[in-house]
Amino acid sequence: MSAITGNVATRVSPVRIAAAIVLGAWGVMFWMLWLTGRTYLYLSSRTAWVVPMGAVIMSIAAIGRLATARSARQEVLGRRQAWSLGIVALPVVLVLALPPSALGAYSVGKRATFGGSAIGATARDVTGPLDFVDIGAAQSFPAAMTQLEARAGEPIALEGFVTHKEGAPLDEIVLTRYIVTCCVADATIAQVRVVGLPPGAYTDDEWLRITGAVYPVGREVLVAADSAEPIPVPEQPYLTP
Amino acid sequence: MAVETALRAREPMLPGGAHDRTWAWVLLALAAVAVAARVLHPMQISWLRNMLIVFGSLLIEAMPFVALGATVSAAIEVFVPASSFAKIARLPRAAQLPVAAFAGMAFPVCECGSVPVARRLARKGLSPAAAVTFMLAAPIVNPVVIASTFVAYRGRDSQALMVAGRFTLGLVVAMCVGWVIGALRPDGLLRADAAIDDPDDVEEPRARRFFTHLSGDLVFMARFLILGALIAAAIQTFVPASVADRVASLPVLSLLAMMFLAFILSLCSESDAFVAASFTSFGPSAQLAFLVFGPMVDLKLAALYIGTYSKGFFRTVLIVVAAATLVATLWVEVWWG
Repeated sequence: MSAITGNVATRVSPVRIAAAIVLGAWGVMFWMLWLTGRTYLYLSSRTAWVVPMGAVIMSIAAIGRLATARSARQEVLGRRQAWSLGIVALPVVLVLALPPSALGAYSVGKRATFGGSAIGATARDVTGPLDFVDIGAAQSFPAAMTQLEARAGEPIALEGFVTHKEGAPLDEIVLTRYIVTCCVADATIAQVRVVGLPPGAYTDDEWLRITGAVYPVGREVLVAADSAEPIPVPEQPYLTP
Repeated sequence: MAVETALRAREPMLPGGAHDRTWAWVLLALAAVAVAARVLHPMQISWLRNMLIVFGSLLIEAMPFVALGATVSAAIEVFVPASSFAKIARLPRAAQLPVAAFAGMAFPVCECGSVPVARRLARKGLSPAAAVTFMLAAPIVNPVVIASTFVAYRGRDSQALMVAGRFTLGLVVAMCVGWVIGALRPDGLLRADAAIDDPDDVEEPRARRFFTHLSGDLVFMARFLILGALIAAAIQTFVPASVADRVASLPVLSLLAMMFLAFILSLCSESDAFVAASFTSFGPSAQLAFLVFGPMVDLKLAALYIGTYSKGFFRTVLIVVAAATLVATLWVEVWWG
């Protein structure tokens, strides 16, 4: 493993090789997130550009470290360094090994009151085809709610996951969608009450496509359902305002 | 030479000089985690799924910026002579601080990227006061953050206030902290092991040295970023966000609540303005507190600060940033209404 470079004997450093492997693993994870579209399980479309940036920098760092793995000094991969590198590699193992998942019904309770006051980064005209971001904007901005109220009874199609409100009638669910501005850490929620469904037919976290008519009631938005169709979790489960 | 000796002294060797085999245990542990992640279906446990997704999202967003910061840091170490910083270091502190704060305008990355750069600047001889001022100001006053704040508040009456206020308060609070750090810690800003974790050999080619420092900085910072992200994810999982909403209309408490939220959420300064703007139940001064406090002190930064800087540094920064932000935003509240 040792070689003579000029007048100096060099050998491959296990410390440098291990660092290169860990940095390379991060690079692989970023490439995988980017190429498979799994970025959107963690980030909004507004910030998704950091993933290819991370992929490039981490890959260059790993390749560079590998190319400069020979050292004139004897470097030993000690206990502390080994565990440090293991900790740095741990998130990569988790992201790659865990099945793709999105936030579900559990988080709604933790973020509900955020959502009550805080959806829609900027004032939004609720004049085009209605979607969940419009609903969130209407629940945040009085002007947007006025615009939505003027459209009461219009048809609407929404995709979201099922949650239930305690004490609600059996034919009613709450259809919820997370709105992510930056990363999942800032996720807020938009919700509509959906009525007129078969009693007890849907369970928490099930994804549905609902069509019906929209009716704003106070700060709440109600949808009288015409149809409810189970759908798989979308590739982009979070919306960006 | 001293660095090399120190590193060697820390390397555990088994009796008889055999190499430590800890790496094999580490690989085994990582393999066990991967198998558990597949076999035990942890994502079916609601709270664990929430925590793991938030943990992952914080890291996936922050790590590229740490990598960018480490790249700049390594370039400074290898390509910029120490004498370049000697001129600034010779200036009186009152002049150093504004220079360092405005220098942040030329460094368009978020707070995770500015920590490795500040660490490097301190090691290259810049005074602790100036290094800290730069570190705190850069994530707020750089053009990308100012532009994102401008866009986030477009169409609002408070747009000019938010953009100008964030820029100005960012500079002022950063200089306040720098001044206090300079007074309390004129030397010894960095933790002892933060100063020796990347052995350098000035006789090696520059490319080798660059990658030595790049990987050293990345691994060093990543450990603490991971710890901070884990704590932030756990708190977000178990503490309902509604605790802050209840005080939205109360004068001082609303400011403190938004600072608390910024601390917990640990958002990137390049896009946190969009989040702040969405807190429509809070007034502009409370949103400003969120935008100034968050990029300087949050949970993931806390871990980075504690891992990088000497004992008591984080406490000092926390107290001074909180006090200065509170006083400044109270003035804004009085003035703006």
